[in-house]
Amino acid sequence: MSLLLALLQDMALAAVPAVGFALVFNVPARMLGYCAMGGAIGHGLRFLLIDKSVGMPIEWATLIAAAAVSLIGVQLAKRLRAHPKVFTVAAMIPMVPGVPFFTALLAIVEINRTGVTEALLQTAIHQGLRALFIVGALAVGLAIPGLLFYRRRPVV
Amino acid sequence: MKPEPLDEPGQREVTRLSVQAALMLMQHGAESALVESVARRLGVALGAESVEVAIMANAVTVTTLCAGHGVTTVRRNEDRGINMHVVTEVQRTMLDLEAGRLDRAGVAARLDGIPHVRHPRWVVALGIGLSCACFAALSRGDVQTCGVVFVASTLAMVVRQLFAPLHFNPLVTFFVAAFVATSVAGLALLWEIGSTPKVAMASSVLLLVPGFPLINGVSDMVKGYINTGISRLVFALMLAAATCGGILLAMTVWHTWGWS
Repeated sequence: MSLLLALLQDMALAAVPAVGFALVFNVPARMLGYCAMGGAIGHGLRFLLIDKSVGMPIEWATLIAAAAVSLIGVQLAKRLRAHPKVFTVAAMIPMVPGVPFFTALLAIVEINRTGVTEALLQTAIHQGLRALFIVGALAVGLAIPGLLFYRRRPVV
Repeated sequence: MKPEPLDEPGQREVTRLSVQAALMLMQHGAESALVESVARRLGVALGAESVEVAIMANAVTVTTLCAGHGVTTVRRNEDRGINMHVVTEVQRTMLDLEAGRLDRAGVAARLDGIPHVRHPRWVVALGIGLSCACFAALSRGDVQTCGVVFVASTLAMVVRQLFAPLHFNPLVTFFVAAFVATSVAGLALLWEIGSTPKVAMASSVLLLVPGFPLINGVSDMVKGYINTGISRLVFALMLAAATCGGILLAMTVWHTWGWS
C-alpha cells in the first residue's frame, strides 16, 4: 500500500517537470497532456524497477522506461501526425541525470582548484559515468521502436 | 498520382523548398534522421527523382536529381532554439503534400506562413519554477526548500527570457541564469530557510540541464549521424560548463559551498 502511494506521488511529481519543460520546447498545447502522461509513466516505471523489491540497476531501468514511453509515443504519433520525439523527449526530462552531471563537473573544477584527492576523483568519475550511462539509456530507449520495428520505414 | 517531370526552374524551386524544410527542422531542434527523411520525402513528393541530404553541424546540403540533371544548394544553419511547434508544422506540411492536399505553391506558402508563436512567457517561467520545485520534492527536499527552488528557478528562467531577444550567446545566458539560481538558493542557506540546502542548490539549476541536445546527440550517433551527434554533445557540455561557472561564481561571492 505504501509502495502504491509512493508510486502515485512519484508519478505526479514527474508529470509536472515533463509539462514544464515541454513549455520551454514549445510543444503544441494539445500535446502537453501526452507529455505529462509520458513523464509520469516513464518515471513511475523506473521508480518501480529500481525499488528494493525488483532491485534493477538504474541504467537498465531507465532503458526499459524510455523504451516503454517511446512505444506508446509511436502509437500516439500516428494519430497526432507528429514525430514521436516532439513529445517523448519532454517526457524523458524528469529522468535526465542533471544532479550527477553537474556534481561531476563541479568535482572536476574542485580538482583543478585544490588538487587531486581520492574522494574528488571518485566523485568526478562515478557521477560522470552515471550521468553518461543514464543519458545513453534514455536515447537508446527512445530509439528502440525504430531499432526493432520501424527499421526501414518512417513512423509518421 | 505520379507528378509530371520537372523542368529546370521547377527543379530549382523544389530544391529550395526541400532545403528550406530541412533548415527549419535543424534550426528548431529536430534530430538529424528526421531532417533527412522529411527533406527527402518532400523533394520526392514534389517530383524530384531522388533527393540527397548531407547534414553538417552548421549547414545542410540538398541535391535533387531529375533526368540526369542535378541541382545542389547549401544553407547555413543558425540555431533558433528548440521549438517543437515548428517541427510539427513542417512535418504536417510534408504529410499533406504526400496525401495530395497541397501542391508546390501550397507547400511554399505553408512553410513561409508557419507562425513562431510561443507559449506565454509567464506560463513558461512559472511552469519551470514548479518543475524544479518538483525535482526538489523528488530528491526529498522539505516544503521550504521546494519554495526556495521555485523562486530561484523562476527567476533564472526570467533571466533566460530577458536575455533571449538581446541575442547573447547562449553560454552567457546560461552562466548568468546559473548565477541567479544559485544565489537565491545560497541566500536561503545563509538565512537558514529549509533544512535541505544541498537539495535546494542542486535542484534550482536543473532548468539549465541541456536535456534536449544531450538526448538528440546520443540519438543522432545511434542512428549513424556521428558528426552532428558529436557537435550536439559538445555544445551540451559547453552549456553545462557555463552553468558550472555560474554556480561557482555564486558560491564564491556568497561563501556558500552547498555542493560537495
